[in-house]
Amino acid sequence: MEENEIRQLPQQSTKKKRDRIGMVLYIFYVLLLVISVLVIAKLVYFQLIWKPEPKIAGALTPSIVKRTIEPVRGNIIDCNGRLLAMSYPVYDIHMDCTVMKAEYGKMKNREKGQMKEQEWMEKAKLLSQGLSELVPGTNAEKMFSQIKEGRARGRKYLQIAKGVDRNTMLKIKALPLYKEGANKGGMIVETRNVRKYPYGKLARRTIGFVRDNKGLPEEEIKGNPGLEGRYDAILHGKDGREYLKQTDRGRVRNYDSSYVRAVDGQDLRTTLNIDYQDVADRALRERIDSLDDLNGACLVLMEVKTGAIRAMVNLSRDPNRGNAFEEITNFAIGRRCEPGSVFKTVTLLSVMSDGIYKSLDETIPTNHGIVKNTKMKQDVHILDWEREHKTKEISILDGFKISSNYVFGTLAVQNYAANPRQYVEKVYSYGLGDSFDFDLEGLLTPLIPDPKSKMWSNTTLGTMGFGYATEETPLHILTFYNAIANKGRMVKPYLVEDIEKAGNVTDRRGPSVLNASICSRAIADTMTRALLSVTEEGTARRLKNAKCKVAGKTGTSFATFENGQYSDAAGRRQYQGTFVGYFPAEDPQYSVICAVYSKPTRTSYQGGGIPASVIKTLVDYVYVNDPRFREKLPKK
Amino acid sequence: MEQKRKWKVSDLWEILRNGFSAVITGNLLLRLNAGKYFMHIAYTFVLFWILIFESLMAENALSKVEKNKARIKEMEIVYADKTFEVASMSRRSEIEKRLEAMGSKVREPEKQAIEIE
Repeated sequence: MEENEIRQLPQQSTKKKRDRIGMVLYIFYVLLLVISVLVIAKLVYFQLIWKPEPKIAGALTPSIVKRTIEPVRGNIIDCNGRLLAMSYPVYDIHMDCTVMKAEYGKMKNREKGQMKEQEWMEKAKLLSQGLSELVPGTNAEKMFSQIKEGRARGRKYLQIAKGVDRNTMLKIKALPLYKEGANKGGMIVETRNVRKYPYGKLARRTIGFVRDNKGLPEEEIKGNPGLEGRYDAILHGKDGREYLKQTDRGRVRNYDSSYVRAVDGQDLRTTLNIDYQDVADRALRERIDSLDDLNGACLVLMEVKTGAIRAMVNLSRDPNRGNAFEEITNFAIGRRCEPGSVFKTVTLLSVMSDGIYKSLDETIPTNHGIVKNTKMKQDVHILDWEREHKTKEISILDGFKISSNYVFGTLAVQNYAANPRQYVEKVYSYGLGDSFDFDLEGLLTPLIPDPKSKMWSNTTLGTMGFGYATEETPLHILTFYNAIANKGRMVKPYLVEDIEKAGNVTDRRGPSVLNASICSRAIADTMTRALLSVTEEGTARRLKNAKCKVAGKTGTSFATFENGQYSDAAGRRQYQGTFVGYFPAEDPQYSVICAVYSKPTRTSYQGGGIPASVIKTLVDYVYVNDPRFREKLPKK
Repeated sequence: MEQKRKWKVSDLWEILRNGFSAVITGNLLLRLNAGKYFMHIAYTFVLFWILIFESLMAENALSKVEKNKARIKEMEIVYADKTFEVASMSRRSEIEKRLEAMGSKVREPEKQAIEIE
């Protein structure tokens, strides 16, 4: 019996122990059960019954904000990859005037609080002084009074500086008060991209202008004829979209919402050479800045073989800037007027191409400067010629050299009066009657009279022969001369070489042909001989001493006044002086046109004057600096 | 012949009572014979835990992304600033002015360069 009792004792002890563990676990289980029931009950309460205060709900609910991701606007670069237009970040600085105000007000030691507030105001005064030195147009006292007033009124977003660059922003950040950080100093910094032009207003009318990368509306693209406007869709890229949610670690992208990546804009490689542009711009300004009679001028430099425009200057008086010359209107493509004597080359080319004359040395009778069978005015210069040379004949070349209206009026009338349409068709075949697809908005279509129209008169053909009765843009005239320089091959002028993405070409533009042959090579050479005589012995002798031979033609025409005459009641004229040509004459590489436009004046502005002189400066520079004109020294 | 047992409303009370006593005694899962699904329940629990953990990790990573974005933006700003400065200084007339101001005798060449072939 005792033995059995002894055996049972350890078993009972183990059972008791197990019961105790079971009890502890059971109590623990019940505890968890109760907690879970409470949690579930609370959840149900929160979900169905409890309604928080809107303010608390707003603070506790993570807000989701839609953000438009602005793409980076593409750069505009010149033919050597130099930046002409780029996106540039600037900073807008604001101030939360209320920072630390409440904390100082709540201080138990009131005196200490007031002292701290006074300290803050002292620092704000120093900040205002610093700002007046760093931000142009900021007055220290005015700024301080604004901050003071803002603090009194509880303004949380007072504008301090707008559109400052990074260096200025860093300097502002180091000023008293602001250096204490956003929480104590109240500095709010916001970044935005603006468009910057490293070369200032150089080629502004060609490049165009935008303030930032906001997509331009359709009507503004039309009013913005530069490359910025024309290629806005390519430069702008595509906006992206993302949704942000507020977390303990700040705002992060909400990966449960949709996300559209922004596509950055593509770069535009232009044909412009910014060095040539700079030289051309300076040469033109130097010559016209001091002449109050002039109200505009333009210059275009083009590569003969390709039609790539290397420089395009357009200067006109800006009444908003004290009548200084600025790039406002694109005269090269948007000003259409009677071209004057530069059109004589068209008549000469026509009679040569039609085989009417074989040589430039063939002569016509001088006829005292009166064009037969027309009511055209007598050309008195021919009388001088008759007197000087004691002859009743003049060669075509001499007529071209002295730019005789009689000679070219006669050539047109004598050879095309029976069939004026033949002459007009020639003009069209030289690309002088049509517009073409150009890289800038606003290229005007020339005006060529129709022989069947009522406007066609007894004098129209004759005056067309020397550059009146038609209207051309400088770019059309240049394209025609460029074709002669290119041995008859007419290429289309262009400004955009290609479109690039991160240095890779995505769309190659480049040269294209308008007319494969407007004349034979032999006739083109004859024309060059005629044009060379103009710069060596004729009306453009200023170019005789250029660093290389220039072939070209001067032209002077007058704009028509409201009275339908070429001069006003006071006898003043509005001049358009033009020189157009190409160089070097032996192997043309560049063609160039320069035109100046005057106000009504009694001073004469001839094509052989300012335009020829500006072109000489440009030719000298290009000839010396362009790698293609380097002298070759054979290696021994 | 065995008669089919009819369902009564009082059975509902019995079920609820049994269920409650099972919950209280901690036998609910065993009574439902869900013991064999223990692994699945544990697995689901682990999955939920991983989901919450991953969500927190992603949030953390995204906050880092935002910080790095701000840093890259800052660097881009510095780069754009310097690029603009350099490009502005490379203007021909600007260089000439600076050379003149420095008293340099360097001017534009008078004749073209000679290239050795």
